[in-house]
Amino acid sequence: MPVVEIKQLVKKFGQFSALDGIDFELDEGQVHAYLGPNGAGKTTTIRVLLGILRATSGEVEIFGKDAWKHSVELHRRLAYVPGEVNLWDNLTGGEVIDLLLSLRKDGKNHKERRDFFCKRFELDPSKKCRTYSKGNRQKVALVAALASDAELLIFDEPSSGLDPLMEKVFSDTVLELKKEGKSVLLSSHILSEVEKLADRISIIRAGKIVQTGSMEEISRVAAGRTLEELFLSEYKEAN
Amino acid sequence: MKSFAGFWEYVRFILARERIVSPLWIVSLAGSAALFASMYPGLFTSADALTGMAQTMDSPAMVALMGPVYGLDSLSIAMSMAQQCLIWFAVAIVVMNIFFVNRYTRADEELGRFEMLRALPMGRLTNVVATLLCALLLNVLISGLTMLGLLVVNLEGTTIMGSLTYSFALGGIGFFFAALTVLLAQLLPTSRGVLACSFAIFGAFYILRAWGDLQANVASYFSPIGVGIKVAAFYDNNLWPLAVLFCAGIFLTILACAVYIKRDLGEGVIPAQPGRRNASVLLKSPFGLAWRLSRNAVLAWAPTALVAGAVYGSVVGEINNMVADNPLLQQMVEGSSAGTSLVGSYIAMLFSIMAILGAVPVVNAVLKIRSEEKRKRIEQVYATATSRTTLFAGYILIALLQSLLFMLLSTLGFYAAGASTGLLVLSDLLQASLVYLPALWLMLGFSVALVGLLPRLTTLIWALFAYSFMIVYFGRMFTDQLPSLAFILSPFGNVPQLPVETLSATPLVVLTVLSLVLVAVGLAAYRQRDLQ
Repeated sequence: MPVVEIKQLVKKFGQFSALDGIDFELDEGQVHAYLGPNGAGKTTTIRVLLGILRATSGEVEIFGKDAWKHSVELHRRLAYVPGEVNLWDNLTGGEVIDLLLSLRKDGKNHKERRDFFCKRFELDPSKKCRTYSKGNRQKVALVAALASDAELLIFDEPSSGLDPLMEKVFSDTVLELKKEGKSVLLSSHILSEVEKLADRISIIRAGKIVQTGSMEEISRVAAGRTLEELFLSEYKEAN
Repeated sequence: MKSFAGFWEYVRFILARERIVSPLWIVSLAGSAALFASMYPGLFTSADALTGMAQTMDSPAMVALMGPVYGLDSLSIAMSMAQQCLIWFAVAIVVMNIFFVNRYTRADEELGRFEMLRALPMGRLTNVVATLLCALLLNVLISGLTMLGLLVVNLEGTTIMGSLTYSFALGGIGFFFAALTVLLAQLLPTSRGVLACSFAIFGAFYILRAWGDLQANVASYFSPIGVGIKVAAFYDNNLWPLAVLFCAGIFLTILACAVYIKRDLGEGVIPAQPGRRNASVLLKSPFGLAWRLSRNAVLAWAPTALVAGAVYGSVVGEINNMVADNPLLQQMVEGSSAGTSLVGSYIAMLFSIMAILGAVPVVNAVLKIRSEEKRKRIEQVYATATSRTTLFAGYILIALLQSLLFMLLSTLGFYAAGASTGLLVLSDLLQASLVYLPALWLMLGFSVALVGLLPRLTTLIWALFAYSFMIVYFGRMFTDQLPSLAFILSPFGNVPQLPVETLSATPLVVLTVLSLVLVAVGLAAYRQRDLQ
């Protein structure tokens, strides 16, 4: 049974169709990369998955349950890192991590994992969020998600603010998560990262999936081109 | 003069950045100074009224609040205006100066904007001194325009020297706090800290002055606010306070420069204290988060309610005189209730106004969840196992707490300040004030409904607020002319005005049920809608 299953998802904002019939599957233990330029609908898809936005039509299921109706209980088993991390100015990073971990109410003790990931990402949790740089804010959200030990991780452009060293730490972490049997939805436009981590790839353009398949299948479609060349050609066609 | 390289260019840069905010401050401060002054002749129709007001002002509560009364031997309207207005405008101008200076010093540095400037051929002292020069210019402009306005309004007793000392006392106090903020911006590493510390010191100086003025001792000479009002405008017209404030400001500036030269960019002399590495148990729940984000508002509104109540309470003893001398007040107080005691009418009027004021923290507490949504912080919370109902309920609970706290504390403040007259009974007062709770809850209900149903139009609640304010404040003068629907449409217009009217349960029950319905509808809609 797929961990995430989206069928014919349509999301309209007034007249505008942000998502126009999306099909998407994430199997257990896999990393599924979700590619597309800004405004293609990646974040909208994720927000529907999280029950923050309501689907106009289509089926959206996580662990076989409706993502909107059962959002609260489903969220115990998943963790999310937004693309743009906005934190509370006068809380410290450590407080935010603890808060987000405890709000998940999964009944686990996260202390060890939390300290481990703080160290690994070189995050000082005693600083007020106001003083964090973009990269450090991202680390706060990453640590909170990784420490949760959730079965499903949803990352929305997680490494956009990280430096190359931390990007490496992040991709190593994702590979370890895969070994632990976790499922990862990775929205990104850093293609080298995707090539290294993903088992499957879906490319979205203007609210529609234009390519989807395993790494091998995509390589076949690419026919000798790099992922970047394939990606760019998909978009040139549109313009 | 390498330290001042790029000085005038930088001054021009500040002025360009300030082209909107500062003119707004200048116009509104100088404009309202003239506007308030122009209302004074209407307040005092007789010499007795002027004396009566001065006597009221001479009570301990009022002296603590606004400073000592001077010139009882030769009262003029201008003098009375100065005694009541100077300190409030001083508060406003200090707020402006603290924000202004912080914007161009620590805030710029914290946001990394200042680094770019320092990479230019710009002197080490340019920023500090140029910021203060601009602050000085701002204060002089406000003072000059205020002076001009007062001369134009030309109240009875206005003199050139009086207008000058009044206006420039404002500017002097403002400049002192500008310089103090510059110094603090060198000492503290965060702009939050600079603002908090500046306002705390300002508050301490205010209290020091209140204590000094009450005891008539030397303490108020050690407070810049105390010194400022010693100009005794339109009476002694002292110039020395202006000189003292200016010199103290210059001294603080030099001190700030000395500190600034010695420190690294981005650092403060007092290092940032590391915060908590872990969240306390209290924070680790949806309500804990809501409380943490609203805590400061609760802590700020509690003393506001107390003071507001005390201000009104301190004049209870003077009511009969005040009202008898002022036909306008007479009409307001007696509008709804001819024939009852003046103090009773006053209490009824007062708590309707208090309740309206109390709606501000209540509505704000509810709207906080909307501002969290707009700032895109809420999606991380909802990505956890937190339901929308649970989180929203937390904010609603805080709004409830705010409604209770405000009405209770304003009543206690009122009672404490007016109890000595022997005219007040605490239990009656509590009844008269708490009876407004259902109206506040209805405001709460409307706010919840707006957040759920019309999240983009939540400001509509302030339209209802403004309408209620007008109806309560001015409507009672026209009770006979206005249709009763005009009062029913405001939540506050439906509350029985104790002790003038009799307590009846029906409107209170209706208001409470209506607010419950609105909360339920709002919550249901909030659960169903897309989040931004």
